[in-house]
Amino acid sequence: MSNNPIVKGKLVCVALNDSEQFNAMQAEFADAPYKGAPTQPVLYFKPHNTWSTDGAVVEWADGADSMVVGASLAVVFGKECCRVSEAEALDYVEGYTLVHDFSLVEQNYYRPDIKGKCLDTSAPIGAAVVPVADPQALTVVTSVNGTVVNETPVSQLVRGVAELISTISYIMTLQPGDVIAVGFPGQRAPVAKGDKVCSVIAGVTELNNTLGE
Amino acid sequence: MKHARVLFNGSELDVTVEDSFAETGLLKSKTDGQLINEADVTWLSPIKEPGTIFALGLNYADHAAELAFEPPKEPLVFLKGANTLTGHKQNAYRPDNIKFQHYECELVAVIGKEGKNIPREEAMDYIAGYTVCNDFAIRDYLENYYRPNLRVKSRDSLCPIGPWLIDKDDVGDISNLKLTTHVNGELTQEGTTADIIFDVPFLVEYLSKIMTLKPGDMIATGTPKGLKDMQPGDTVVCEIEKVGALVTNIVSEQAFYGDKY
Repeated sequence: MSNNPIVKGKLVCVALNDSEQFNAMQAEFADAPYKGAPTQPVLYFKPHNTWSTDGAVVEWADGADSMVVGASLAVVFGKECCRVSEAEALDYVEGYTLVHDFSLVEQNYYRPDIKGKCLDTSAPIGAAVVPVADPQALTVVTSVNGTVVNETPVSQLVRGVAELISTISYIMTLQPGDVIAVGFPGQRAPVAKGDKVCSVIAGVTELNNTLGE
Repeated sequence: MKHARVLFNGSELDVTVEDSFAETGLLKSKTDGQLINEADVTWLSPIKEPGTIFALGLNYADHAAELAFEPPKEPLVFLKGANTLTGHKQNAYRPDNIKFQHYECELVAVIGKEGKNIPREEAMDYIAGYTVCNDFAIRDYLENYYRPNLRVKSRDSLCPIGPWLIDKDDVGDISNLKLTTHVNGELTQEGTTADIIFDVPFLVEYLSKIMTLKPGDMIATGTPKGLKDMQPGDTVVCEIEKVGALVTNIVSEQAFYGDKY
């Protein structure tokens, strides 16, 4: 089923987890349709048709005028993870990698964004899965055609890696080969056809993709 | 033909359901033709390798009115994880400290052939068959972010499915099938697929315009009106005419998770 050797079951992504974006949106959260800031992690799935790999050409969405990309540190599970505490959460991680989430421009967060997020090949995962002692100390740097467009320290996330693993494991049991992308920059980077997107976590791994024509 | 998957003597087994099943409870192994009684198996989800699970919100005109929502102009589609799936006659849990958990009896169309940009006229060629699911919801957990959110709709065991997958041609026309839900024997939900707003051919066209549909992907088509709270100890039966009757036992969170609670 999988088009990617790392993810086998589900790819869970966390939205609105960049504290800069989260703080900037407080006034918007108070209004309709949200009527209050989120009290829980805001989660979405990237389904199996979206999975692709390091080096993959990502399809340009049919008829789209514009697309955006965000990169996230991703947790790859090595063991079944069900209802675990924050203190023990990292024991269930096999290693860390990167996810690119290519999508249409995010209009709002009220309804599941199937049209924007479920595009074929739009979730490259990789390149390598690497053990890391302290994922909170990592920084994800993304460049488009060689120019840095985002630099997001994991410590800038509203909810950190261990907290997310614990919270999500009380909603759904995570299996070996399940992946959580823990948080994307609030400002997604615009991309054009043919662009080269490269994300790096220094000393861990690098993920390279090209936009299709 | 009806296709099911069961646990028998500790192994997963693909079976077909005998025509005499209602009287005899007999299933036939696809491996060696052995006849097995239902009493000796544990039912599993009938889809061996579940792909993307699409589900529809507010897709029955009467249910949208019940929740005081305008019927949507475009399908409200959300995704569910495979962790939600469990088989016929299995347990689903009620989380601790909540006020309202309800069932949702739904017709599920299962994709049998890969396709992208499938026109409505050809949509049914991509359907393998149908099953029934009970797409439970916990209204306490709704928030207005990606609503209905994963905390509501992607919990372990809260999408029982089955008992079997029935071939498309054995059901025929799906545009007016009766749906019922009984809780502890009492009829609590009654409707017909005739009230579906966005039908299966529409949804196949709509989704395949966005993304490639693949075998094992499932579309749960929404539920009619008739919400009722569930409690541990309740038995829920979701039945769809010509497709099947799916039985689920509600247990407490502690009973469901056991040592992991």
